[in-house]
Amino acid sequence: MRVLVVDPDPARAALVVEGLAGVHPLEVRQSPVFDEQEAALFEPDVVVVAADSPDRDTLENLQDASVANPRPVVMFVDRSEPGLAEAAVRAGVAAYIVDGLAPGRVRDILEVAMSRFRLMHQLRQDLEKAKADLASRKTVERAKALLMKERGLEEEQAYKLLRKLSMDTGRPLGAVAADLLAFAGVLKGDGA
Amino acid sequence: MSGGELTLGFVPLNDAAPLVVAKERGYFAAEGLEVRLSREVSWATVRDKVAAGALDGAHMLAPITLACTLGVGGDPQPMIAPMALNRSGAAFTLSRRLTMRMTPGESRRVALARLIAERRLQGEPQLVFAVVFPYSTHNYLLRYWLAEAGIDPDRDVRITVAPPSRMASKLAAGELDGFCAGEPWSAVAEDGSIGDVVMRASDVWRDGPEKVLGVTAAWARREPEALQALLRALLKAAAWADEPANHGELAELLARPDYVGASAGSIRRSLPAANFHRNAANAPLPVQAAWLLSQMMRWGQAPRELDLRGVAEHVYRMDLYNEAAAEIGWPPAPAAEFAEGFADGTVFQLDLARAYAASFPISRLGRG
Repeated sequence: MRVLVVDPDPARAALVVEGLAGVHPLEVRQSPVFDEQEAALFEPDVVVVAADSPDRDTLENLQDASVANPRPVVMFVDRSEPGLAEAAVRAGVAAYIVDGLAPGRVRDILEVAMSRFRLMHQLRQDLEKAKADLASRKTVERAKALLMKERGLEEEQAYKLLRKLSMDTGRPLGAVAADLLAFAGVLKGDGA
Repeated sequence: MSGGELTLGFVPLNDAAPLVVAKERGYFAAEGLEVRLSREVSWATVRDKVAAGALDGAHMLAPITLACTLGVGGDPQPMIAPMALNRSGAAFTLSRRLTMRMTPGESRRVALARLIAERRLQGEPQLVFAVVFPYSTHNYLLRYWLAEAGIDPDRDVRITVAPPSRMASKLAAGELDGFCAGEPWSAVAEDGSIGDVVMRASDVWRDGPEKVLGVTAAWARREPEALQALLRALLKAAAWADEPANHGELAELLARPDYVGASAGSIRRSLPAANFHRNAANAPLPVQAAWLLSQMMRWGQAPRELDLRGVAEHVYRMDLYNEAAAEIGWPPAPAAEFAEGFADGTVFQLDLARAYAASFPISRLGRG
């Protein structure tokens, strides 16, 4: 497990190391501030940060599914911040350590955070793929309709023509259909 | 009113001024309010604490109230913006390493596009620019400004996030090539000869949206009297902060380490960048919220099936503002259907917000 602890106080990283005793292989790195380049090189499985760290906003962006290498972020709150743990869970933060860092709970919490993050990430990817599939199906339907209208083809023939174009060029059906629609737009003077 | 002490959060920036002034010059006290100000280091913490009730309300980036309500970047948490704390005030600062390579008199944006193209040809790494939060006017203004010069903010450069108070040091260390943040942090970078301001929010949109008072919809329903008292105090404080004659005193106040913690000189110099009051600047105009939503849609943050007017009017509460304004003898702000003041001559129309969002050549919305 590779853990990045973002905290000016080395004691927190020491607690994490203590809590993860017995995990092999284990690499815990402590950094006083979050450095994106350093993190990209280290490729942590999970990032641990205090809820009141100024690096929170940067890490918030790191969790975003749209960035290249999203990572789960685990935050801990000191007892002096009542109510914040609950809020962070609602706000979609991967997990929260409520009562500061207790070595006995570190391992469970990090593992739960990582598996929940993987699950969420998978769900998001499935959703994106489903959306893309739907968009591609719509494009194919529109390209088919265009061929039927412009070339006087039956639906079956139009579909076969698209399939042939796709196989001849070795490109997905949706991409071929999109090109066809774009070119039709240019020929009609849409300017694309 | 519950009668207890209220806690409001703020992030160290010039535009926290209405909160600081209301506290230090007695506007809260005059309304019978006991307010504690809590200095926060990140917008994520501000949002979480307001959502959880650890803060009653906060100095907030306007788009956070919209993102929270929509559940963008987390589960939905309805928030409202019953007043704007200021308009404008953000600036985009480029490192001096870059501006030194620009020709005097050349448009900074054209020069930047040229430098980016040169770097690509030479196989150099992409320039890295920081904004203060994914859901911030800063992010949308910077993207708008770059895209107008044909620079794709997702493909031609890298946009990252950093806390405002660390921007100047990151720029100096070479971790960043530029940043878009609220003042005084651009003034601090300039005063340290680290960077140069190449764009101010007002160069894109004069009197565009900036910070608001953000509270949860639930808190506003539960504490209607406290909210009105808060609004009256903050409106008067904002008017005081806007007066140039008060800027010397205001800069000294903000410079304190428990508030902004930067030099009074840099703060004093950058205070005029924000409009705290003129031209009904405190009215939370839904048309401004709709513009922010259009940009969230453009960059793929908000779903494209969104009812922009519905969300904008739900979050930007003109009724609550007008109620407080009437109490202190200010004229009501008329509901605006159009937003003007764009440098490119755009007139943004609330009814056409969706078509507008889809109209940009550089955007993450596919055609059709």
